[in-house]
Amino acid sequence: MGKEKNNGNKYLFDLAIFLATSARGCVEEPHLYGPFRLIDALSRLTELPKYATCIKEDPFLAKMKRVIDEKKFLVVSDTEAFKAFLENLVREFAKELKRRSLERRKFTSN
Amino acid sequence: MDVFEAIKNRRSVRKYKPESVQEGLVKKILEAAVWAPSGSNIQPWNFIVIKDRKVLNMVRKISPGYFGDAPLAILVCSDKKRAYNLGGELGRDYLSVADCALAVQNMLLAAYASGLGTCIVKSFSSTAIKHILEIPDGIEPELLVIVGYPDQSPKPPSRRPLEEITCLNKYGKKYFKK
Repeated sequence: MGKEKNNGNKYLFDLAIFLATSARGCVEEPHLYGPFRLIDALSRLTELPKYATCIKEDPFLAKMKRVIDEKKFLVVSDTEAFKAFLENLVREFAKELKRRSLERRKFTSN
Repeated sequence: MDVFEAIKNRRSVRKYKPESVQEGLVKKILEAAVWAPSGSNIQPWNFIVIKDRKVLNMVRKISPGYFGDAPLAILVCSDKKRAYNLGGELGRDYLSVADCALAVQNMLLAAYASGLGTCIVKSFSSTAIKHILEIPDGIEPELLVIVGYPDQSPKPPSRRPLEEITCLNKYGKKYFKK
């Protein structure tokens, strides 16, 4: 437990320093690096359940992480494809939000 | 290896094998760097070879553009005082950066010809890297070159066609005909 907690602290600090240095970098970097850093941070954030035992693994977020890690570098090779990937990513999140919302409503109305 | 083959086939690698890079290859890469052309022969470059795992990890953490777990990184810095003393404002503000970029291209090609993968990173925090590597004032971190044995073969990104970007004798008159 102690070891896990230490790893969790390391994970949190690494994520924090990534966000801080990204924020500073975004002042001068190409504007698409802002979205790029955000989705990279999202990818890193989906690892949270490994460290916070009170949070269950989320299959949807794990799937989104795989998609993000596969597609994120489009930012440097094909900006239009990168924008389309972000658009699709948001669409997937919207579908999932709706699915979860309907599931919850079904559960509460029963 | 033919130089044009190296120029065309080199890719930015963001996934590496854990094998370390032999000392002889590190020296070869650095020698390639210092034979780059240099404006007014100022040679403003300084190199910090980073091999210590702990230091590499620190550098990675303050570099949002650093991907992969390569065993080696070389930070190319420009000596602004030297560049100013030898090249004035042009040397300090322009040539020092351009020269470091030329040196880096040589490094990438030498590494590629030796079977190594590389990636240039500019997305690092200058303030943080100066603190971590104890870089004094007047020395400016320009580019970080990640080096290791590649564990991926990225597809080549597109290039703007020569017909679109090349002119003959004056701007706007196409050099190449479609």
